[in-house]
Amino acid sequence: MSATVFYVYCIAESAAATQLPADSLPAAIEDDTKIEWVAVNKLAALISQVPGAIYSEESLAEHLTDATWTAIRAMRHETVVEYVAKHVTVVPLRFGTIYLERHGIEQMLAERSRELEEMIEHLRGREEWGVNVYSDRAALMSSITSVSPVLRDLVARAEQASPGQSYLMQKKIEALKADEARAEVNRIVDQVENRLREQSDDARRLRILKVETTEHGELKAKFAFLIKRTEFEEFREAAERLAQENQTAGVRLELTGPWPVYNFVQD
Amino acid sequence: MDQILVSEEWENSDLSLLETLDHVLNRGLVIAGEITIGVADIDLIYVGLNVMVSSVETAHEVLRKRQTK
Repeated sequence: MSATVFYVYCIAESAAATQLPADSLPAAIEDDTKIEWVAVNKLAALISQVPGAIYSEESLAEHLTDATWTAIRAMRHETVVEYVAKHVTVVPLRFGTIYLERHGIEQMLAERSRELEEMIEHLRGREEWGVNVYSDRAALMSSITSVSPVLRDLVARAEQASPGQSYLMQKKIEALKADEARAEVNRIVDQVENRLREQSDDARRLRILKVETTEHGELKAKFAFLIKRTEFEEFREAAERLAQENQTAGVRLELTGPWPVYNFVQD
Repeated sequence: MDQILVSEEWENSDLSLLETLDHVLNRGLVIAGEITIGVADIDLIYVGLNVMVSSVETAHEVLRKRQTK
């Protein structure tokens, strides 16, 4: 194993990349090293040297089990890619792409040049924005009767019914409330996805890592959208309209970004 | 009350730490480098990270390290 190996962060067009002032680049993934560009024709990969002893197959697997070690490196990776994405169109790589020799990176850039150039063309002038959909259960349950036609109808009939019938209908109403609340959240999530998809160039529904309950309620869905910078205001307005329309149902939308386009560079 | 939360200062929340890590660890172009972290490794990382993010103090420590770097 050689003393140093090469960690790759992202790929950009070499002409634009070399315009970035070298001294303003953020810190590399490991201390006391510099990030630099490796260019081949129109493309350049942003890399830094890392110790081969740590970034070997076995040693890396061991370090990755240390959450703090990993989180710090992942954050540095993100900081670097975010910085570049602010200035030029960038293809972000997943964390942990390592080459043993500089030559290997040059070969990869040459071999995949067409695919990478097409990808950059597709991403030019675009950013990724995240939308999280939260549901406040208490607010939803208190408004569900006015939202759901089925429930509204049942409540009206229960008011007219005899005491015995009314009692049974009340029980049915309570049982139905939970189902209708679930259906209402699903309907809103679909509506958010469909309408914001129309306002964007591409969309992905993301997995929820764990059930998050925040001050805004429980996280019900996460989306990533690819949006032209020049069209972001329209996207934001559409998101605001959706938020307003669904506020009484206890639904909140959270917009995060801009992110490097991590979700739109996969196959 | 504002209906939409535009979280441009997402660095400040624990959820955002996990969200950032999810972007970096699980997405992005996969190029077969000579050493590439496998899917099994990523799953293992998540176990550790979920524990870490639940421990708010450690998460903040990581964020501080990020900012000072």
